[in-house]
Amino acid sequence: MITGKGITKTFRQRGGMLGAREVPALRGVDFSMEKGGAVSFIGESGCGKTTLGRILAGLESYDSGEITIDGVPMSSLSHRQRQSHFRRIQLIHQDPYSALNPARTIHQTLDAPLTLRAKQTGRSRSWMDERAEELLGLVGLDPGYVLPRYPHQLSGGMRQRVVIARALTVDPEMLVADEATSMIDVSLRLGILALLKDLRDRLGVSVLFITHDVATARYIGLDGELYVIYRGQVVERGPVESVISDPVHPYTQSLLSAIPVLHGLEVPGAERVTPTEAIDPNRKDTGCLFAPRCPFRTDRCEAETPVLGHDGSTVQEHACFHPRSRSVVATPAVRS
Amino acid sequence: MSVTDQRAPGVRISDLSVVYRTQAGELPAVRGVDLELMPGTITGVVGESGSGKSTLALSMLNAVQPPGRISSGSVEIDGLGDVVALRGDDLRKTRGRHVGYVFQAAQNSLNPLKTIGKQLLDLGRSHDVDDLPGLVKEARSLLDRMGLDGARVLDSYQHELSGGMRQRVGIMLALVLNAHVVVLDEPTTALDMITQATILRIIREVHEERGLTTLVITHDLGVVAEIADRLAVMYGGRLVEQGPTREVLGAPRHPYTRGLLQAIPRLVGDIDEARALPGRPPTLSTVPPDGCVFRERCAVRMDVCETGEPPVLTIGPRVVACHAAGDGESQKETVTTGPTRGEEQA
Amino acid sequence: MTATTIVPEARSASATLRRNFWRGVWRVMKRKPSRMLGVVIMAGFAFMGIFGPMLYPDRLPRDTNALYAAPSWAHPFGTDFEGTDVLALVVTGSRYVLLTGLVTAVITVVLGAGIGLFAGFRRGRWDSVLMRITDMKLTIPGLPLLLVLSTIWKFTSAIEMGLVLGLLGWGGVARAVRSQTLSLRERGFVEAARGLGLSTTHIIGRELLPSMAPYIAMNMLIAVTGAVYAQVGLFFLGVLPFEANNWGVMLNLAVFGGGALTTTAALPYLLAPLLAILLLTLGIVLVVDAMDEIFNPRLREE
Repeated sequence: MITGKGITKTFRQRGGMLGAREVPALRGVDFSMEKGGAVSFIGESGCGKTTLGRILAGLESYDSGEITIDGVPMSSLSHRQRQSHFRRIQLIHQDPYSALNPARTIHQTLDAPLTLRAKQTGRSRSWMDERAEELLGLVGLDPGYVLPRYPHQLSGGMRQRVVIARALTVDPEMLVADEATSMIDVSLRLGILALLKDLRDRLGVSVLFITHDVATARYIGLDGELYVIYRGQVVERGPVESVISDPVHPYTQSLLSAIPVLHGLEVPGAERVTPTEAIDPNRKDTGCLFAPRCPFRTDRCEAETPVLGHDGSTVQEHACFHPRSRSVVATPAVRS
Repeated sequence: MSVTDQRAPGVRISDLSVVYRTQAGELPAVRGVDLELMPGTITGVVGESGSGKSTLALSMLNAVQPPGRISSGSVEIDGLGDVVALRGDDLRKTRGRHVGYVFQAAQNSLNPLKTIGKQLLDLGRSHDVDDLPGLVKEARSLLDRMGLDGARVLDSYQHELSGGMRQRVGIMLALVLNAHVVVLDEPTTALDMITQATILRIIREVHEERGLTTLVITHDLGVVAEIADRLAVMYGGRLVEQGPTREVLGAPRHPYTRGLLQAIPRLVGDIDEARALPGRPPTLSTVPPDGCVFRERCAVRMDVCETGEPPVLTIGPRVVACHAAGDGESQKETVTTGPTRGEEQA
Repeated sequence: MTATTIVPEARSASATLRRNFWRGVWRVMKRKPSRMLGVVIMAGFAFMGIFGPMLYPDRLPRDTNALYAAPSWAHPFGTDFEGTDVLALVVTGSRYVLLTGLVTAVITVVLGAGIGLFAGFRRGRWDSVLMRITDMKLTIPGLPLLLVLSTIWKFTSAIEMGLVLGLLGWGGVARAVRSQTLSLRERGFVEAARGLGLSTTHIIGRELLPSMAPYIAMNMLIAVTGAVYAQVGLFFLGVLPFEANNWGVMLNLAVFGGGALTTTAALPYLLAPLLAILLLTLGIVLVVDAMDEIFNPRLREE
């Protein structure tokens, strides 16, 4: 079980003459992940979803808040101890082309973490070789073919599978998949998604799925939770199906409305929401962060800040003063 | 807006083949493609990496770079003739004046050291535009039309613009010389969902207002589904299926189109119906030289697919190149082995 | 394609890998005849440096009847002011020159790459301190310092010479390696290694270093030519005593003693060491051309 409470992170950009500019990436995010569970974060680029994934993988620090891994609060640990806990959370990069060292064979790539693992557990050289083959088999690759090869000799889909196998060498508790399929050929994407789903079932690995594609989030885990993030804040959160079929936050509705409709197979939702586009970058962050783009904003939205919570009418939590169901998702076309 | 009365030109690509010279000899990236872009329509070409879709797009400008070359076929544009036969200055003038090209998400096609306005003037000068103030005015109104502050954008550098804004600048640069044939290569890759929806809407609107003939190249079926009138599916350098978008998506005839549609997870319906396509797309060197290019991954593969070139069947407005798509009987059979979602839910 | 030909058993991996690497190097070298020529030239110089001096007696014979003799079968490049064979001088002088070049190159690359990698990978305080030191070093003007040093130090051994030139030369490499490291460390595979808890030694030695190998190898080869120019220059200027047999000494004597620039008699004496330097540079330049392909598996295999 991995939980986070009030995680904040602000990047300080070294500005020119005007001095440092502060860019808040996360503004107090809470989450919890059961063992073997699936949680998806969706939102636009720059909303902080990638930063959260990097924080969990131990690649980025956070300013405040508390992360608890298997009941151990990270703030109580030294830097070194903390790193060994964060190692139980492995990041699957978006780009399988840069995630593997082009100058090293797959065998070498898997060997390094397995050596470390063998040392920790006092296992032998032959265990490492067996384990490498076992892991490659687990991710659906032929070890005899893949091991002696360099990354450039493999397709994007195969590389991503190698990346997943490498993450599994340390027996992780959780995989953070950051847009893990966006750079892979369309016909191969589902295979990677199915693999992640399969790893949940077979190994009990939990999956934190970061994406802008809501439909893939749905595929990873219907039993999971969906978090919709806007500018570093969770604006809607709940079981995947209820957020998709009955979204109440206008931002969630905008995201779902933006998904292309497969005309001929689907009919578009009747109340698709289009947000007003430009926001003034110099505007003070007061009230609801989405208010400047929200077509349904009122004076209250500009003045007060909504808090994520239940209002009794929906299964999921939301942070909106004027929640309302709208049918934005396309429905299957009835064929004549 | 200075929309001319000029009717949108039609484009006929016939028997187009493009080969790349490699150590293993000349390998075809595009093979015998026949595609007609009807005047005033949006045609979407969908394909994965290595399908030859980008090479096809470059052929529209006769801009295939060595080691590639157009080995046969023609690209006839109304009022211009065969682009493949053009050379030198004529060809350079054609690019921009007649055929506008919007590069992949316009990420790398803008010069980071010059303002957009400067680049616009460069474009105008290289095409001998006399009325440069008029060009700027036209550019500004195009940008305004696309929901930007035209004057401000022209004074900006590339890094000051967001991905969606850059894409709109790319569209402006493609249209500002009054081109009526526009090629968009992956217009929304690397853009966010909401921005993507906005760009697609703009493409559609501008297309209609200016009377264009548009070709959209993409790997994303959703993009084509959203805006294209006609859809062409490419695989391994071949055009395997084409037809009106709704018809192709509603009742795909080629097993690849069907497999691709099925491999896309959807927002509604039974999620477990999504099925991965086995195997992987071919590369230039692994495309089988004879027989059907898709047979390795095909669910309805037959003996004849190994050797026989799939017949190109024209059924009303639709064209499909598949041995199994022939007569009505086998058609029925393939439907039962791999039903489309639409049919199941009917 | 050749890339898919060899599929060895996954075991005995490192031996196979090494074999494949050298096979790849051979393939890359064969691609252009010029590269082979470069290798032959460099091998020739290496042979000359190692075994050349053994072919001649410690004190070279002098033919006092033939001072500044014209080229002939007995003396292909003629003789010098005291009748010593010029070819013999070039060959015996090569060891000092080449050894200096080698020592300089090794020191330049080891120090430069080491400091650059460490500073770039650690960032923060380490980076600031090391880069300030590098900057300070870069501001030291090399030639004046060498002039001063030569007044107190005679540089009789090539290793001393190489040490000094190496210590003066690593700054540029350090800067460049650091900036490459900074960009590489953001790459997915380096982050993945950090996330997996792999040691810093592993990350620097096994992940970062191989990616920079072509660059480092090129710098190493170029440092050899740099060192050759520098020391030959010093000897030519007469800054260093003429104790050692050296190409630079030969140039100096040919120009200032033999008047090679005004009369033709000493011309072969002048041209012979120049030709040697030119050939060495050519050999190195021709080989440098192959470095990118040698260290990039994709270019190596195809």
